[in-house]
Amino acid sequence: MSLLQCANLTDYLKTLGPSQLENLYVHPATALAVFRELPLLGQHYVLRLLHVEQSVPKAVVSSWVSRVDQYRKIEVQAMEALTNLRVWTSATNQAGMESLTLDDTFKQNLKTALMGGGSPWTTSRYLDLDPNRRDAAYLDQYSQERWDTVLHYMVGSSQQEGISADAVRILLSSGLMVVTPGTTEPTITRSGFQFLLMDTPSQVWFFILQYLDSVKSRNLNLTECLNFLFQLSFSELGKDYSTSGLSHGLLVFLQHLREFGLVYQRKRSAGRFYPTRLALNIASGENKSLLERHREGYIVVETNYRIYAYSNSNLQVALIGLFAEVLYRFPNLAVAVVTRDSIRQALRGGIKASQIVRFLQMHAHPRQQEQSQKKKRDEKLSNERAKDVIPGTVVDQIYLWEKERDRFTFEEGVLYNQFLSQGDYETVKNYADSQGVLNWSNDQNRTIIVSRAGHDDVRKFWRRHSRGGN
Amino acid sequence: MVNVIKGVLVTCDPAMKQFLLHLDEKMALGTRFIQQDLDDTHLFISEDAVGQLKNQIDDLMDKISIPVVEGSQHT
Repeated sequence: MSLLQCANLTDYLKTLGPSQLENLYVHPATALAVFRELPLLGQHYVLRLLHVEQSVPKAVVSSWVSRVDQYRKIEVQAMEALTNLRVWTSATNQAGMESLTLDDTFKQNLKTALMGGGSPWTTSRYLDLDPNRRDAAYLDQYSQERWDTVLHYMVGSSQQEGISADAVRILLSSGLMVVTPGTTEPTITRSGFQFLLMDTPSQVWFFILQYLDSVKSRNLNLTECLNFLFQLSFSELGKDYSTSGLSHGLLVFLQHLREFGLVYQRKRSAGRFYPTRLALNIASGENKSLLERHREGYIVVETNYRIYAYSNSNLQVALIGLFAEVLYRFPNLAVAVVTRDSIRQALRGGIKASQIVRFLQMHAHPRQQEQSQKKKRDEKLSNERAKDVIPGTVVDQIYLWEKERDRFTFEEGVLYNQFLSQGDYETVKNYADSQGVLNWSNDQNRTIIVSRAGHDDVRKFWRRHSRGGN
Repeated sequence: MVNVIKGVLVTCDPAMKQFLLHLDEKMALGTRFIQQDLDDTHLFISEDAVGQLKNQIDDLMDKISIPVVEGSQHT
């Protein structure tokens, strides 16, 4: 069962070729966005090297980290990230020492981003006052509505109008939905369910990544789109930006972003647009908390496994329906109960217990959060438990139900036995072990089980070995 | 000479292993499927039994679980 992978910015950029990365760093916004996503130590390296106009021996860079084993891993990670993103390149200098140089384009543009200067970003052109100004609250509501149409469409609720053909195409190509043969309507897949339980920023980022994959087939320039996206992510909520000066490709891209609710435009020819909260900090992947909280929680979970959802949105009730049995439905309240069957059904659908628990915690009603805060103060609970907003019994039970399905593990393998001598047995066993394909062994019976993937390798080794022995 | 058998390595707790031995003895799947009894927590079984076995295990788990909360069947 595959878990839905939501790559962060670094992982995504790694998949691009060197020349594309080089083109990306041409814009200060991108350089800054990449810089912000580097590991802390990586940022430190970059800042120290930023104003050094020559290559620096690797040994010098290494000396900035104290020689203690616990820091080794962090150092290796940081260095790897910088190399992978081609922020620096290493070369061997005349003295035969490995030395590091910051990428010139990256260096120039990061300097511009940090210290100002350079040419103004295309979108920041001066605009006269918009007669139909929109404030942040309006934009939030708008983007939420746009984004919800996508989610509504996925759960197949009755409130599905206004989803664009493009969005549907992305849902299909990303495998979140499939059209099963014999039907015309797409249905949601396993990864689609996991997608629904993610928080909104992660959803948007995942969706945009899928969109970017399809950019080429739309005759758009990937680097141009990415640069624009990064510019957007540094823009200000509630401020309008000009569309003049954007290339034709970017205007098309803008219309797509508008469909998903990342930007607001009153009409296509308005000449200005407002970025919404969905577009801000888009690249920060999983680790953003400032954006998550703007929608108020609506779920109360009781220790008797009941879930009360104070919501009149079909979508939110449908989401709960993914892992709980909805008992009653009132105009502003739905009552559901978590049962073994309902959880098992969700697990079969590919949802993980941790995803369910995270979802419940994320959307916990303010009252429930308040109570858990109070309980924490009163009982001085250990940190471990105190985080739990929802009752521990329910959380534990959900995890137990998940574990129940894992009482068995099945691994395809190949069994070797009836070795003629202890020596033969040991040789094969040690070889399999060194290759990491040994699943089980028993010295008394001289029995070995290697994984199916390692079988060919071990067999070849055995052939070589037995021939050599004879 | 070395004997080589393809199959599936099952890892489980001792109670569950007994259940599998029981299924094997009773020929619940129509045939014997255990190829080697390895130790308390490991069995080596034939590959084509896995699908059916999973269903049998699910049935068992359904039988031995008691609903802890009232579901729609009670209301």
